[in-house]
Amino acid sequence: MSRHLSPEQISCWMMGERTAQDEEHVRDCSTCGAEVNRVETALRLFQRSAKDWSQEHSPEFRNVWSTEGVRRGVRTLALRWALAGLTLLVLAGIPIQTIRERGQREARANQIDTALLEQVDAEVSRAVPAPMEPLARLITWGSTETTTDKPQTSK
Amino acid sequence: MESVAAPEVSIALETPVSTIEDFDAVARLYWPVVFRFLFASLHDRDAAETLTQDCFLKAYRHRERFRGDASVKTWLMQIAVNLVRDYARNRRLQFWKRTRSSKVDLNEVSQFVPDEQSSPEEQTLNRELVRAVWGAAAALPERQHTVLLLRYVEDMDLLEIARVTGIKEGTVKAHLFRALHSIRERLGGEE
Repeated sequence: MSRHLSPEQISCWMMGERTAQDEEHVRDCSTCGAEVNRVETALRLFQRSAKDWSQEHSPEFRNVWSTEGVRRGVRTLALRWALAGLTLLVLAGIPIQTIRERGQREARANQIDTALLEQVDAEVSRAVPAPMEPLARLITWGSTETTTDKPQTSK
Repeated sequence: MESVAAPEVSIALETPVSTIEDFDAVARLYWPVVFRFLFASLHDRDAAETLTQDCFLKAYRHRERFRGDASVKTWLMQIAVNLVRDYARNRRLQFWKRTRSSKVDLNEVSQFVPDEQSSPEEQTLNRELVRAVWGAAAALPERQHTVLLLRYVEDMDLLEIARVTGIKEGTVKAHLFRALHSIRERLGGEE
């Protein structure tokens, strides 16, 4: 092969897909050999840097995991949820109870008010003073009901 | 985050069933691997730490779904890939990202380059090279980025990447091809 490897052929080379002709060319062509070597080196150093960097930082993470800790965490979480639920119920229960008590108080007050007003109405609506009420009942005042109930006076 | 489920897998036996029963041992063994993948994907140490925790928590809670005919690493990486996918939609992490930025400077990562008994000039060049790759990788679309990391950081073959990501092997190859093309462009290798 006299022509240099194409960018596609070099990418294929990096992926491990290479023909015998490619290999022969890379062996013989210093330009393609250098290019393949450069990319291979870059990828190898890239891998090493990733591994070395994470290796450098991983000790602090190695002891992070503990299955027992996770189990404990799950139990704690369940307990927290239960407590949260209970708190919610209590908090929701307090206003409901308050509203209920207030309602009862208002109903009692309304009953007292109504009774008072009825008593006032009864007092106000009297046509004659209380001592004269029996006498007033004897007078017809044009009421048919009264005249039928009571004996008619003779002329 | 809760939308991520631990997937069921049914692939070739690579790790004994008993391994996952000792979950502490699983966590000890694969914590750095998952963290590394998540960090390389997100470039955010706090996010990587949080998602690593989430990954193992999900794996633990759904460990009964692990049928034992899959590699523990593959199973964990499937969860990790899903977490990365959902990361952008995770409002909690978005909140923490706003309040506490822990983005890692790629310069810092590029310092972790083995000297390989090279000269200071070569080391400087290597750091530049690594930084360019990290930068190019970060600019890749999510799938290409994931496939690139699984292939070149985690040393997975195309079939394993297909299992982890849930996409077809041919599609994995296409993503990897495009990712490599972009990396080479960034490195200045495109003629």
